[in-house]
Amino acid sequence: MRLRIMSRYPGGNLIDIAIPTFIAAMPILLGQAIGGGAAQAAANFQQNTGTTNYVAYLLIGSNIFMIVSGTMWNVGYWMRREQETGTLEALYLAPTGRGSILLGISLYGMIRTLINFMIAFALGSLVFRVNPLQGNILLALAFLLVGMVPLFGIALLYGAVILRVKEANALIQLAQWVVSFLMGLFFPIAVFPIWLRVVAMLFPPTWMNNGVRASLLGVGYFFQHWYFDLAVLGVFCVITPWFGYWLFTRIEHGIQRDAGVGEF
Amino acid sequence: MEPIIQVRDLTKVYQSKERSGLLSSRVKNVDALKGITLDIFPGEVFGLLGPNGAGKTTLIKCLTTLLLPTRGAAWINGYQLERDENAIRASIGCMLMGDRGLYWKLTGRENLDFFGALYQIPPAPRKKQADKIIEMLNLGDIVDRTVETYSSGQKMKLAFGKALINDAPVLILDEPTNTLDLPSARELRTVVHDLNEQGRTVVYTTHQMSEAEELCDRGASIDRGEVIALGTIPELKASLNREGVTKVEGVIPATAFRAVRALDGVASAALSSKDGAQELVIVAPNPRAILPQLIHALMDNGAVLEQISPTEVTLEDVFIAKTGRTLAEDTRVK
Repeated sequence: MRLRIMSRYPGGNLIDIAIPTFIAAMPILLGQAIGGGAAQAAANFQQNTGTTNYVAYLLIGSNIFMIVSGTMWNVGYWMRREQETGTLEALYLAPTGRGSILLGISLYGMIRTLINFMIAFALGSLVFRVNPLQGNILLALAFLLVGMVPLFGIALLYGAVILRVKEANALIQLAQWVVSFLMGLFFPIAVFPIWLRVVAMLFPPTWMNNGVRASLLGVGYFFQHWYFDLAVLGVFCVITPWFGYWLFTRIEHGIQRDAGVGEF
Repeated sequence: MEPIIQVRDLTKVYQSKERSGLLSSRVKNVDALKGITLDIFPGEVFGLLGPNGAGKTTLIKCLTTLLLPTRGAAWINGYQLERDENAIRASIGCMLMGDRGLYWKLTGRENLDFFGALYQIPPAPRKKQADKIIEMLNLGDIVDRTVETYSSGQKMKLAFGKALINDAPVLILDEPTNTLDLPSARELRTVVHDLNEQGRTVVYTTHQMSEAEELCDRGASIDRGEVIALGTIPELKASLNREGVTKVEGVIPATAFRAVRALDGVASAALSSKDGAQELVIVAPNPRAILPQLIHALMDNGAVLEQISPTEVTLEDVFIAKTGRTLAEDTRVK
């Protein structure tokens, strides 16, 4: 159903595909300007990250940021949109479990962002002349797919907040920057002070982002080996969706006790 | 006969924030429903009657599981509210007031199909039911256009069709003719009547008493969250049997209205404006006997009278007699 609706807004997908290239372009160009040319910038970059390929590094970061952003806000945006158009109550009138609807919405979002990721990454690679088929692609894909499960949990947490505060845009504006900062969109989190590094590592997308970069560019895993990092993401896969769904149903129940889900 | 809907002491208290400055607010309790108790029997059209803000929609939202009551219990089709939510949802087809619950970027047919899927109806019977609805509501010409191109009346019609998609034994309609023109409203009432003939129980909320008189077997008059009258339509009218109703049209200042209300022999009176003219409805045990005092009270207080006439008792008169207010008055707690 959402696919059908989205197909009637054809411009939306094109924008989603183009944005990562623009996000990556700014630090790439700035880096080259400060570093004194591409070669000098690459040498400086290797000192901090373990790779000279800063263009691919930023391109991967910006594309994963789009996945994280698209998936995390998906439930919240969906709730708010349905609230505003008046269809949320209609959905709540049907005898379909809330979990199935939320899972459906999230799956749709995940598949869409994954497809967009592939197209956008290919486009960015073409624009910045990067080889997109380097490193261990299958392992990178595994990090991507496993990393999306905790994202579903975070999406539920965010959906619960939207249901309560009934405001999506301001929260997203704020959270976008926090998310991009914590997951190391433009830089390795190794440059953070230790306390901030701990905070960043409590955030599943940080592991997802680093896992993909490490698989494709060899920047190094947080725990030396890919299977340890993937295992940490696996733990997040259990905890985050469970906690997200628990909080969502609690807030939903509270709202039903109050003015109802249709109030906005 | 066992009721298909049982409501016992249903109470709903909202907490509403009252802004008292830029940053300060205080929480205020709003009693939307005050211990509603009623039974609705299989196969009847039951009217929930009352002005805007009376609590009709809150009651509907509680019965359809959208809101949880603060206190009390209800059973629909044998299922208990709060315990069997999904079974209750499957037992009802619902159209909420000013129903915006349609996807504007989908066609009418796609909307019906989508909501049918939410009710877990397999594709073949879903298509069959959608086709039946399209034919019943004469939606054939518009059903393959996206909803955004519909007029508000067409949207209401489709929203009504959506309420029929699960072919439920109970149909709950909250002010379904609100934005419809007269012919469309009549057409919809005919469909409701036919559906009832086929055995469906219908709960029909309206603030237009003429509509309730035309359609409903029984009804409950709700005012400020309480049931103030309950019974068959003739029973409700008969409750004013020993009283008569007089209507006065013209220009009636507030002082004249107050003077009429203060007259001995006036049970209740309510003033409303209709199409720019004012109408005073007076309920009195013996209207003829008070007619001279009535005219004096009005003329002495500056009223300009255009017409005075005794009228037949309507459901609206019953409401006026019970509350001293007309149905046009908005009683929502601000």
